[in-house]
Amino acid sequence: MKRLVLAEFAEPEPMVEAARKLRESGREGLDAYSPYPIHGIDDALKLPRSKVPLVALIAGLAGATGGYVLQWWTNAVDYEINVANRPPHAWPTNIPVTFESGVLVCVLTLFFGSLFYFFGLPRTYHPVFEAEEFRSASLDKFWISAEIKEGEDLRELERTLRDLGARRVTQVEGEE
Amino acid sequence: MAVSAAARIEARRTLEPLPLLEGEQDDGTLNKTLLDYVWRKPGKGWLLLVGLGLAGTGLLTLAVVVTVSKGIGMWGNNIPVAWAFGIINFVWWIGIGHAGTLISAILLLFQQKWRTSINRFAEAMTLFAVLQAALFPVLHTGRPWFAIYWLFPYPSTNRIWPQFKSPLMWDVFAVSTYFITSLLFWYLGLIPDLAALRDSSTSRWMRRIYGVFSFGWRGSARHWHHYKIAYLLLAGLATPLVLSVHTIVSYDFAVSVVPGWHETIFPPYFVAGAVFSGFAMVVTLIVPARRFMRLKHVVTARHLEAMCKIMLATSLIVGYGYLMEHFLSWYSGNPYDFYQYANRRGILHGSFQSAAQDPYIPIFWLMVFCNVVVPSIFWSKWGRTNVYVMWIAAIFINVGMWCERFVIVVISLHRDFLPSSWAVYKPTWVDLSLLAGTICFFGMLFLLFLKFLPAVAVQEVKELRHELQAAHERHEIPEFSQEIIHVTELEAGEEDQR
Repeated sequence: MKRLVLAEFAEPEPMVEAARKLRESGREGLDAYSPYPIHGIDDALKLPRSKVPLVALIAGLAGATGGYVLQWWTNAVDYEINVANRPPHAWPTNIPVTFESGVLVCVLTLFFGSLFYFFGLPRTYHPVFEAEEFRSASLDKFWISAEIKEGEDLRELERTLRDLGARRVTQVEGEE
Repeated sequence: MAVSAAARIEARRTLEPLPLLEGEQDDGTLNKTLLDYVWRKPGKGWLLLVGLGLAGTGLLTLAVVVTVSKGIGMWGNNIPVAWAFGIINFVWWIGIGHAGTLISAILLLFQQKWRTSINRFAEAMTLFAVLQAALFPVLHTGRPWFAIYWLFPYPSTNRIWPQFKSPLMWDVFAVSTYFITSLLFWYLGLIPDLAALRDSSTSRWMRRIYGVFSFGWRGSARHWHHYKIAYLLLAGLATPLVLSVHTIVSYDFAVSVVPGWHETIFPPYFVAGAVFSGFAMVVTLIVPARRFMRLKHVVTARHLEAMCKIMLATSLIVGYGYLMEHFLSWYSGNPYDFYQYANRRGILHGSFQSAAQDPYIPIFWLMVFCNVVVPSIFWSKWGRTNVYVMWIAAIFINVGMWCERFVIVVISLHRDFLPSSWAVYKPTWVDLSLLAGTICFFGMLFLLFLKFLPAVAVQEVKELRHELQAAHERHEIPEFSQEIIHVTELEAGEEDQR
């Protein structure tokens, strides 16, 4: 069971500031929610550098290599086909399929890798959805969530959030 | 200088780019105007058009059943015109798709802000156009259920493999990669908007359905962090696809030895033609859609004018391609090539008198009229800003680009090397039904998309609005009225401050 405090902000800038102050005060388990990507929030939450480009690069190279090996092995090793007396392994004719396989594998990895691994989706349930007001997070409001520690004074946290500009503060609990 | 402030503002106003967003918008009004129509009951016009699309899809199904059950003898193809409507329509539809990818990927990398309101439309158009395109080569194989073993490299019991030195194999890889990339890129952009639909829904069922399709997206900063990079990388990968797919399609022709196909100019000329026809289709669809869906505040005259400029530029490239083909047919000194182009033009045929009686000459000249003459209306600002003019011109361009593929495929083939094998091609009712049917099927898919999904990338428009507002607040240009503040990208107003 996890307990979260949710705070709603009307504008993105105060939300980013609030996230930064909370993190600097040493609070853990912070997250922010917004209808569109907000400039500066990555820095405010000190998110580590994304590994997406590295994964994409590896996938793209693997796809291109696989595409080339596939053409070489099928047409020059396993079942030689003589086409207009070109050598069985004629590399220039392999360029288009090598390129396309690289792109294909990279794209599939980017999409499904982001979805399953980096986003941890599909997941239709999350504790934040317990709050009906949280609907506005995908529409026009900006939210911060913070984990509540065991035996923590909630009024203190709520006051801090209100001071930082939150218009609404609520708490939810649910399975992680 | 004794120029009044009012006069300066007025002078500046005429020089300002047209607005990207019209009127005073905030996140609330954008949600209302861009999401709420999903919850409204569909109008009579929409139902009527979907009904028409459904009827046309029925015709398509009939034509497909006839083709598959009786064989492609039901088509008008003959020898030497073995590639006819099947390939014309394939190239036409694939070309149309290219505008979507250009708008969503290349314009994103170039940071063209006007792409934001129209990318969703254009990407959906790409997907549906590629679906129609894929139908034709599959049917053209005659027995598609056997085609799999020589199209896809899987270890079948025949123990043979596809022949990778053939451009037709390259095509299979290019088109399937293109379709999958377009689909996933489009869907990644849709996820936050599907979550917005889930959260603005009024009924429990709708909330569940959109909840499932949004995969439970909650807009977390940790997700956006990866999302932005993944989206940008997908755009970067889709960018070479815009160039590679139609290049590979052009290899289907250019790698062969048929006069009129065997040309090094084909790849760039095909890509330019694809972008040209694609933008014409975007304009054809978006002009009525923005009116009936009341989207004029996000799809403004600025967007339409930019698209007209791209059509003009690509029309010039295509026109140059035509000119070069005809010039080189003479300059190369190859009699087969010279005859081929003289036969298309019907004039300047020298000793080739038979060219003058060819039934396809009007199609060539219709192509020149639609693709070179009509788009020159976009040299004038009036042509680029009048929606009626641009809509009619776009229809002409769609027709013209179809004619171009007819000219390349049919006219090149029907005058083979040997006069004894010459023949005239006539489409049958099955050919015509397939073409009309795919147009209806495409239209129906597009109408369903307009009704059930956010047709404008709401999340990106909100971000753009926020960006424009922040840019304005930094520059602080006091003379400008509130109305302009919200609507234009104002660059630093040094002149005003002086």
